[in-house]
Amino acid sequence: MKIKTTSVMVDDQSKALAFYTNTLGFVKKTEIPLGEHRWLTVVSKEEQDGVELLLEPMGFAPARTYQKALFEAGIPLTSFQVEDLDAEYERLTALGVVFSLTPTTMGVVRLAVLEDTCGNHIQIAQIL
Amino acid sequence: MNFYAHQVAQLREQLYAREHLTRQVMRGKAFMDRHFPEPITLAAVADEACLSKFHFLRLFKTFYGVTPRQYLTSVRIKHAQALLRAQTSVTETCFAVGFNSVTSFAGLFKTMTGTTPTAYRKKQSSRGKNRMGFGPSRRTR
Repeated sequence: MKIKTTSVMVDDQSKALAFYTNTLGFVKKTEIPLGEHRWLTVVSKEEQDGVELLLEPMGFAPARTYQKALFEAGIPLTSFQVEDLDAEYERLTALGVVFSLTPTTMGVVRLAVLEDTCGNHIQIAQIL
Repeated sequence: MNFYAHQVAQLREQLYAREHLTRQVMRGKAFMDRHFPEPITLAAVADEACLSKFHFLRLFKTFYGVTPRQYLTSVRIKHAQALLRAQTSVTETCFAVGFNSVTSFAGLFKTMTGTTPTAYRKKQSSRGKNRMGFGPSRRTR
């Protein structure tokens, strides 16, 4: 059994696709129409055969409640790994991305938390 | 400060207050990142970190969640994948990344990636062809 898909809940799939590809730099992998929504996944440019990130619409009302609670607490929905956190921070800030937590070192990890424009805080981290 | 930022600040204070220690362990990790193709020992890495072997091993595991040996193996396997993608032979790859036995290299590679080095290398070479699996010779006919 393999871990092939993980997901982020988004309030708008098209907006999410734009942010996750054009801004964060992921690449679209699959898009399958499923009635009202799509099965829409992206992958890392560096690992195109790796784990897929599903941009999951919130058809289920309690999901919105959960997303809002996490967002208000500043808790990131997930974390992505980067090679150079400070460089990524500069790049993303220049693209207009809003950060709720600026680059901070915590032990052997350097991390930052950004807003993905689709209702989530997302952490990016570098292993030092 | 939001809840999460507060949690991060708290953990920093509780777990990572001694910054010089984390920096020392990081030096050991950086040493492995640079010298992975060589036959490095725990003693050499701990020396670089200016810590006893026991202390270094324990701290490394606490900070990184894996032992130095496990980390070193993962660095070697990652570089091995890059070499195999470039179609370097399995034997050459094995020795280039610091293993001294093709059998143990192949075994570790399979455990960590799910495929053998040979299969991985072959899979990467078939990517150069047409996605449907037809080679260039078919098209020129």
